[in-house]
Amino acid sequence: MRKEISLLEVDKEFKAITSLEFREMASQLPGDRVPIGYFCPYVPEELLHAAGALPFRLMGFPVKMSHAPAHLPPGCCHLVKSSLESLLQGELDFLKGVIFTHTCDAMKGLSEAFAFQKRIPLQFNFMMPAHLNSERSLPFLKEEIVRLKTFLEANVGEITPQGLRASIRIFNQMREKVQRLYHLRMEWPGRISGSDFARIIRAGYLLDRGRYVELLTKYLDELPRDKEGKSGHVPVYLIGNMLHSPAYFSMIEEAGAQMVSDDLCSGARFLRLMTREDIDPIEALAERYLTNFLCPTKHKGAQAHIETLLTEVEKSGAKGVIFLLYKYCETHFFDYPDLKSSLESKGFPTLLLEVEDPSYSIGQLKIRIQAFVEMLSPI
Amino acid sequence: MMAEQKFDTNPYRPIQSTGAYRRLMTAYYFMVKHPSWFGKKVAWITSGGPVEPLYAMGALPFYPENYGAMCGASRMSASLCEAAEHKGYSHDLCSYALTDLGSYLTGKGPIGRLPKPDFLVCGNNICGTVIKWYEIQARAFHVPLFFLDTPFIHDEIHEHTLRYIQGQMKDYISFLERELKRPFSERRFEEVSARSFETISLWKEILDLSRHHPAPIAAFDAFIHMAPIVTLRGTRWAVHYYKKLKKELEERIKTKTGAFAREEIRLIWDNIPIWYDIRNLSRLLASHGAVLVADTYTSAWVLDDLDLTKPLEGLARAYAVIHLNQGLNYKIKKMVNLTERYGAHGFIMHSNRSCKPYSLGQYDMRREVTRLTGRPGLIIEADHTDSRSYAPQQVEKQILMFLEIIKGKD
Repeated sequence: MRKEISLLEVDKEFKAITSLEFREMASQLPGDRVPIGYFCPYVPEELLHAAGALPFRLMGFPVKMSHAPAHLPPGCCHLVKSSLESLLQGELDFLKGVIFTHTCDAMKGLSEAFAFQKRIPLQFNFMMPAHLNSERSLPFLKEEIVRLKTFLEANVGEITPQGLRASIRIFNQMREKVQRLYHLRMEWPGRISGSDFARIIRAGYLLDRGRYVELLTKYLDELPRDKEGKSGHVPVYLIGNMLHSPAYFSMIEEAGAQMVSDDLCSGARFLRLMTREDIDPIEALAERYLTNFLCPTKHKGAQAHIETLLTEVEKSGAKGVIFLLYKYCETHFFDYPDLKSSLESKGFPTLLLEVEDPSYSIGQLKIRIQAFVEMLSPI
Repeated sequence: MMAEQKFDTNPYRPIQSTGAYRRLMTAYYFMVKHPSWFGKKVAWITSGGPVEPLYAMGALPFYPENYGAMCGASRMSASLCEAAEHKGYSHDLCSYALTDLGSYLTGKGPIGRLPKPDFLVCGNNICGTVIKWYEIQARAFHVPLFFLDTPFIHDEIHEHTLRYIQGQMKDYISFLERELKRPFSERRFEEVSARSFETISLWKEILDLSRHHPAPIAAFDAFIHMAPIVTLRGTRWAVHYYKKLKKELEERIKTKTGAFAREEIRLIWDNIPIWYDIRNLSRLLASHGAVLVADTYTSAWVLDDLDLTKPLEGLARAYAVIHLNQGLNYKIKKMVNLTERYGAHGFIMHSNRSCKPYSLGQYDMRREVTRLTGRPGLIIEADHTDSRSYAPQQVEKQILMFLEIIKGKD
């Protein structure tokens, strides 16, 4: 650790990076790393990190739309619209590159829109296979990882086997720490507020990862344990897209519930990317995507998404499930009716919240969450 | 009403082969409706899925998207979408999928309740939507699903991508052998592939005929007559039918007979048609002497890279590089090419609420194609089958203003 820091300072650093807008963040980024943007966990961050880049996750901000509507049809989700808007407003000019990966049709279109604008000097499309349970996928994915490695080496810096192993170690440490954070929230409900939790998670996608591990270690070690915790919070499970605003977690808590686990693409799903350190690193990076990690844009059999979530929800101890879905997210909305009926048949009531810009319709969402939590609460 | 009156001044010349087309599609849907009478197993397949192995193995393909278009054209789609929405599916989802799900849930549609598929074949070379859609149907019908993953081509296709798809084509054959309980015949597959190639060539030649002035067939006709290239590619029926259609259109060229009596403005169409309003739009355009002479949709079934020396590998490549699986630069080049080759005065882009792969990028594309060709473009908002998302009067006004701009330019 560079110097002894207090819990207060740790908290301040998490708050500082997550309260800034993209353009303001540029001055806060570590000067020794090349900022490379990415959107999706299917981009192997470890590879970027090993090349000397700062993997900088683009998670969508509340932003006033002025340029994007001239380039996009109306039926695109908030992430796609706000990301293109940020690009066109020059908010992302600090990025030296951006890595897209193959997920949904809207993200494919966004990649094309970014390339067409030519504002970011480097762009790469990492083609994650959509078929996860085919024996053809692993060799293809490994070749894609090698292709990305070649690109990064040509444009950012050399990736040595030792360097890649070290980066994998750092990211695994991050996952271990974040896992502990989730456990702490389950053990001492209310001890870490929802908005703090959201900020800490978000900071992990923006800060230098080595620094983040230091901060998180300090946070976990020094967080006062309060065995009593706050009682009476109803445990709920969250399913959806990116956790793009702390406001949602606050709302859930204010309504008397606590998110105990989730399948958010920027939340606990990240924990399933734990990477083996005892095999070839390229093999390990590829393997984890085909075994543990499942984004609903991918195919792993017709039942995979339902089975994964039923297991996760049952394990979490949640009493109900909240779907927090981006409006226009085809992938999630196709799965929703079957998921809902499967969960409800197992005794888990569900609530669907369709969200766009996080600053919209907060009041309405609050009322709906309150009604749902009241329904789940013991009389 | 106004358009109806003016339409009389520019009569449409019906294609005589349409009778044969109707008989052909009736026979096809009769088989789909009663597969057991013909000893056939039915495979539901996406519109960009490789159909040749299915025909070679004696299975009968059914295309939910083509059926969706039929539901749209017969104006049954909105109520079927509502049935799916009632079940919990979002209104924002693709209306082809909602129509299919609604038809499954209600048993309604132009041919009534559809027969249960024996298995499903899904290729994501057209969109990612079909992955979820086919997973739902695999769960609903409790049938196996084969998924062919064709990574999107942002710039160029890589060797390892081709190997990946070729490997899956072999898996596809194994899957079919398992499901149909019969061995795959190379010889039969080569015959079907050769017929498929012949059908594609005929279709390409037919579409090419509209480079003539006046165009013997309008894109609105091609939207209808494309059904066999989608559903019957690889069969003798399709070859016979397109030979007949081509012959009729060649006769039209000899006598300089256009699809309409008057052809003053030639236009290109981008995206899937607005199936429930084809006739009205055609009349509206014709009443102002405008004819759609080419489009990006029907030409998507012209598989340019089909190599018949190694049919399975050739098919893998051909299905990987189709229009919708390629990036914006490819699409811009194609629009520029169509505009120039067909001597078009402008182009109309349907911003299709239900189809992101077609519709994302259209705004940039319009500007770029206009910059490169000097031809104006119009974007209209609609949905391919769900009429609830369509404002016909607004679209009519937009089109009239657009045609005025073109007349002013030329």
